[in-house]
Amino acid sequence: MNRLAGQAYLRTRLAIMTANLLGHEKLNELAGLPLDELAANTGFAEIASNNEAGRLPAFERALMQTWLDELSALLRPLEGPARRLLTQWASRYELLNIKALVRGKIGQLPNEEIERSLFELPGFLSLNHDELLNTDSVPELLRHLQKTRYERLATQALRQYEERPDPFLLDATLDQQFYSDLSNRAQQLSGHDRTETLDLIGRIVDRHNLVWSLRYRFNYGLQASEVLYLAIDGGRVLNRALLQQMLQAETLDEAIRTLPANLLSHGDMPKQITLIEAAMRGDLFAHAERAMRRSPSALTSVLSYLVLRYGEITTLYAIVHARVHGMSDDLLHEAIDPLQETAA
Amino acid sequence: MIRAGYDMRHITLKLMREDLPRASLVLAELEAFAPDERPLLESELPEIPGSTFRARIRRAWGHLDRLVGLLGELPSDDSDTPLLVLRREQLVEIDQWLTDAWQQCAPCDEALHRIEDEFRDLNQLEKSLEDFADLDVDLSRLQAQHEHLDMRIGTLPTANLSRLSDILQLSDHLILNVAGDGDTRRVLIAGKREDAAILDSVLHAAAYQPLAIPESFDDNPSALRGELQARRQKLDQDCQQLRGRLANWSSTNRRQLLRARQMLEAAEPYVSVRGAARTRGPLAAMQGWIPASRLAEVEQKLTDDLSLPFLLESRAPRAAERHLVPVPVRKRGLLEPFALLVQQYGVPRFGEFDPTLLFAITFAAMFGMMFGDIGHGAVIVVAGVLLRRRLRAFTYLFVLAGASAMLFGWLYGSIFGVEHWLHPLWIAPMSDPIYMLTVALAWGVAFLTLGSAIAISNRLLSGDQAGALFGPGGLFSLILYLALLGGLVSFVRGNGFPLLATIMIVVTLLLLIAYQWQSSDAPYGERIFTTLIETFEIVNGYVASSLSFLRVAAFSLNHVALSLAVFTLANSMETIGHWITLILGNLFVIVLEGIIVAIQTLRLEYYEGFSRYFYGDGTPFKPLRVGRPQTTLTR
Repeated sequence: MNRLAGQAYLRTRLAIMTANLLGHEKLNELAGLPLDELAANTGFAEIASNNEAGRLPAFERALMQTWLDELSALLRPLEGPARRLLTQWASRYELLNIKALVRGKIGQLPNEEIERSLFELPGFLSLNHDELLNTDSVPELLRHLQKTRYERLATQALRQYEERPDPFLLDATLDQQFYSDLSNRAQQLSGHDRTETLDLIGRIVDRHNLVWSLRYRFNYGLQASEVLYLAIDGGRVLNRALLQQMLQAETLDEAIRTLPANLLSHGDMPKQITLIEAAMRGDLFAHAERAMRRSPSALTSVLSYLVLRYGEITTLYAIVHARVHGMSDDLLHEAIDPLQETAA
Repeated sequence: MIRAGYDMRHITLKLMREDLPRASLVLAELEAFAPDERPLLESELPEIPGSTFRARIRRAWGHLDRLVGLLGELPSDDSDTPLLVLRREQLVEIDQWLTDAWQQCAPCDEALHRIEDEFRDLNQLEKSLEDFADLDVDLSRLQAQHEHLDMRIGTLPTANLSRLSDILQLSDHLILNVAGDGDTRRVLIAGKREDAAILDSVLHAAAYQPLAIPESFDDNPSALRGELQARRQKLDQDCQQLRGRLANWSSTNRRQLLRARQMLEAAEPYVSVRGAARTRGPLAAMQGWIPASRLAEVEQKLTDDLSLPFLLESRAPRAAERHLVPVPVRKRGLLEPFALLVQQYGVPRFGEFDPTLLFAITFAAMFGMMFGDIGHGAVIVVAGVLLRRRLRAFTYLFVLAGASAMLFGWLYGSIFGVEHWLHPLWIAPMSDPIYMLTVALAWGVAFLTLGSAIAISNRLLSGDQAGALFGPGGLFSLILYLALLGGLVSFVRGNGFPLLATIMIVVTLLLLIAYQWQSSDAPYGERIFTTLIETFEIVNGYVASSLSFLRVAAFSLNHVALSLAVFTLANSMETIGHWITLILGNLFVIVLEGIIVAIQTLRLEYYEGFSRYFYGDGTPFKPLRVGRPQTTLTR
């Protein structure tokens, strides 16, 4: 498929797939439904499992499979850096599996329990989890991981773990490598594809850096320099100097006051980290929605769609999960839309 | 056979649950049975047996693998001991023994890793001390706790250096020196003592590892060397001690390790059948595929080995499941290299036309047409024979391609590019390029027509009647193509465009449009658009593919032109230069043009041939086997 045909294919596919997006209102509506109606509306009712406990993970896997199938369809006409960019975006699930494996080993959970929390991934992504699961300790797991494409990361994590086991440090390092690779792949694009995807990725990185830097600094009490070291390069607004300025503040309020006004497109930055996360997420999704429909780069439209779809899938799963476990309406609405609840 | 996997049968083995592991082992020993995991028997036999068995086997393998990794490979089992079915209590015993064994050996494994790390640190330290020897810094401060100055020497991953350097600058620390290469860098860092906590936290995040400076560093170099040497010897001794302990443990427990491996391997077939085996209470069934020629042998072996009654039912594959039937990969003799190239594209579906023979014939023909030269062809044949040890099966491809080039060289009257030594049996390509292009086009038309005919037959066999009639390469598009072509030929010859051809074009076009229209459920606008585009694509596809074959003639002309260029260049030189140019020029033609022609031929086969008629989405027949399937950690 030549480039022009590829672009036409992507736009057409995207136009069809856009209908899969539920939108904010529909998600809120679903959150208000009782479990049996919710199950009928989301496909949860069709999930059969030998036991009730296995249904939720099976539902999550089914949702993820839908996302991966859509990704595979969108990958078809792409090649070179554009293909590599989207494949990297898909590898976030692999990252989640590695995090779950390490946390499970640190918590000395039985293998069966760790395995239940792993995603079954398609061949082009998946590590052989059997070998990783069949390890007795975190260092042994990391040594096995050194034999994979995560060698650099595993070596680093092994050093850190032997000195002082900090699970969050591994998470942060994994995220750092993931987003750095994503930015590097976007840098290899050209024209509109490059500028538009870098803008979108920059917004994602801004959200990640802001939320996690505030958490590390004010909830975990890490040193400003360490937080700055763990921050990801490639933000759209929040560069290293701005982050440093923010991290030198003594209190959360003070830190928020140092933030530039253009970090959010609309409204003021909230004063709590969970609300900041929700506001940044809302802002990112609003941008992704615009980019999906109007970006001159078909690749950015596709990436925006995948961001939106992934966000909706995680929200949908959270709603079903909350309902299955009997969470109250108020708590559920607060969890999926904290900004709205605070305003109310 | 020209059709792939023609003799496969679907079997259902009904037996008592107790005999299931034994039956799996029997089938695995025969290597004639590929499990079919479709839930065909789910309603009668709802359970899939062996899930806890599988989990335990997996854990046992995990421990055995780690023991083998630590102790070295176990000798392969060449005893004639018959394989025994692993009973549940035996598995529990083996699993427990392997868990205990690993617990005994794991401390040694950890200690060996630590020694390895210490060796690495020692090497880095030695290099660091060399690096920093000429540095204008009092390194004795590295040992002493200075009141204001905080200096550190250590290593960190190269990938983290730049980020660390930037961050340290922001907190008034300096990286004074950087050395080393590869994945690890040695660094000397200086800062204020009061900021030590800040430095600690950043260095931890950067996976920095401090290097321990020896006591004697400040004394004299020979004492330092002695201390480092002593450290190294101590590590060597520790390492040897550990290895010795492991060797002792291994020799004491070798028999038990071998037994564990043999038992686990024997259990592997039962584990591998997974959903292909189903049970309900004491009843069980197993389903899968078997070549018809092995059916009697399988039944006999089951009769001999199973202690309880069983029933073996077999049937031919149904139309709807043809795409699921595994296809055995057969030895192809002379056609082996072509079979390998076909497999690069895909595995034939069950019952599908196996393109290997046609591919071999057309490949050789097109290669010869494009590269027709007796001399150059002979060189390829000789090269193929001389390199037969390296080329293995591909020797036949070289010999066939070279022989074809020689045959066409004879037809073209060309030897090493010289066209006047031999009278062409058919035509010298440069004498009538238009004729050559016409022949190439005619070859293309024949090739595409044959491809479409095979496609139609494949689709009919797969039950895809609509595809056979209306799809790209289907009957109506083929009629449309041939009518269009016939009309054009008649028109070019001055006989006008025949009415019959016009009627056939209009009718087939209408049929194709109607089919495209009804198979789309999009809104009207999009439907019109897609129908027109899809129909145009079918017609355009044929035209573009036909023109694609002009390269067959183009390369035959190109071959002559390249040879002419070599002669012209050689003739402008003195005797020695003349011969050197001739030899090098001919080598250049053989290697470069030979490779290009081979690639172009493959392209024509894959894109204009296989993509037209070959599904290539078949499943290779992978029989159940004794032993463990190979797995790797990385994809």
